[in-house]
Amino acid sequence: MCHRWPPLAKLFAAVTMILAATCVPITHGPLVGIVACVIFFAHTLARIPLAYVARRMLFFWPPLFLMAISLPLSQAGQAGWLLFVTILVRGTLSFSTALWLVNVMPFDQLLATLRRLRVPDVLLAILSLMYRFLFVLWDELDRMRTARSARLFRKPSLWETWRSATHLVGRLLIRALDRADRIHGAMLARGWDGRSRWIDPRQEDRP
Amino acid sequence: MHIQDGVLSPAVCAVTGAISLGAVAYSVHQLKQSVGDRTIPLTGMMAALVFAGQMVNFPIGAPVSGHLLGGVLAAAVVGPWAGCVAMTLVLFVQWALFSDGGLLSLGANVLHMAVLGSWGGHAVRMLVQRFVGDSHKGIVIGSVVAAWTSVMAAAALFCLEFRLSVPPGEIDFSKVFTLMVSFHSLIGLGEALITGAAISFVLNHRPELICRMGTLARPDHGNEEQTGKSAHPPIAFTRTLGAGLVIALAIAAFLSPFASEYADGLEAVLGKLGGEFHLTASVPGLFADYDKVPVPIAAWEKIAVSIAGIGGTLSVFTLAWLLSKALPIAPTKLSEAAGE
Repeated sequence: MCHRWPPLAKLFAAVTMILAATCVPITHGPLVGIVACVIFFAHTLARIPLAYVARRMLFFWPPLFLMAISLPLSQAGQAGWLLFVTILVRGTLSFSTALWLVNVMPFDQLLATLRRLRVPDVLLAILSLMYRFLFVLWDELDRMRTARSARLFRKPSLWETWRSATHLVGRLLIRALDRADRIHGAMLARGWDGRSRWIDPRQEDRP
Repeated sequence: MHIQDGVLSPAVCAVTGAISLGAVAYSVHQLKQSVGDRTIPLTGMMAALVFAGQMVNFPIGAPVSGHLLGGVLAAAVVGPWAGCVAMTLVLFVQWALFSDGGLLSLGANVLHMAVLGSWGGHAVRMLVQRFVGDSHKGIVIGSVVAAWTSVMAAAALFCLEFRLSVPPGEIDFSKVFTLMVSFHSLIGLGEALITGAAISFVLNHRPELICRMGTLARPDHGNEEQTGKSAHPPIAFTRTLGAGLVIALAIAAFLSPFASEYADGLEAVLGKLGGEFHLTASVPGLFADYDKVPVPIAAWEKIAVSIAGIGGTLSVFTLAWLLSKALPIAPTKLSEAAGE
């Protein structure tokens, strides 16, 4: 049901929860517990499956853990454990809040909200085009990877992998810029004059 | 490389956020002023490209792999202003779509990767190119050096931010910073290699795509011939200042373990002075810290950091030189023959 909240309220709620998660001192156990409960409650309200959250956590924890464990390790285990726990708990709480926001707020709604918050038009136009191209380029990258593995008949050495990976990046860059040129031409053909026009999603939803 | 929420204190997040906001606002302002209607699709595509380029894995060991960061690459293709905006949007989308990074620490991340990466990287590249030349070799060497310095500058800034976020006295910062700096010099090495190789590849195939000296943005259609003509523009004071700042920060990264130790020593001395009001007591106080740690180990740590720093710097320069040697200067005009 969180999905139907007004977009601004969702954004505001997420920011508040992240602020709370990062400001509450870790030694105040009950307060941290309350924040965790609120975030968990929000997740259940939005009906985000727990398995999904757990799966995302699996990818999120290792880097955070590495960052946090480097503190006590550098002190030879003598100090820094409190800091280690603080970083882990705060990181986990704010990550799950961000996860909640991602799941209840579609990207175009986020764009519309940013527009209402008076983020400059140029930035939003670039942002929306980036979002559009992102998936195109991912597909392109996928095709190039498929082509690469189709032409490889053995396990490449480290040097070969690096070489082909840099070629992949470079070639993707050339293709992307060529595509940007074609898209610009197409935009000009459709009357692009450098100004962006927006459809208000609230009006769009109306029958 | 992303700083997650909860690592830095809210106050530090607010300050870095304000600085980044100003920098990005200035970039947007410059973007609006300097170029025509082609900027918007181009910058959007560049942002998407950096995002997709970060998906390409560069294996290091079995489980560990590195990837492109992209600040210097973006600045090399679309100029520092658009590059900064593109990197900012990449970081924002990574948070908004994948909850990677953080909302509060977005400011710090933008400062490290977008502002230092694109503005600083561009400034350093231009400075190097002034000395090496505005050729294929100069551009590759410049971008390798710029990529490495910008990562090290980010490391120095992170050490400072982290130090300000954690109440002093809880941990020994010099050791944490030693770890951070050695870790980042590896990341910087990877970033330098990838950026240099990718730029060299583009220079071989489509040299007109890389910004030359004296250009701050990609030209619109029609006046592409103008780029690269002004071989020796006057040195822009602000750019030299920016490059100097980034290089100074990079050097500071290697000094940070020493600096923090010095600061700790200073605090100890001041504490002694305040408490006892005699100078004679403060002189042994200066060495009090070193009594706890066996001296050989402390000395060894400093030597290790210095060697890592000097070795890293040397290897980056060697790398830049090798890259510029190994890759053919004469462009193979394959892409044009293929009618791409």
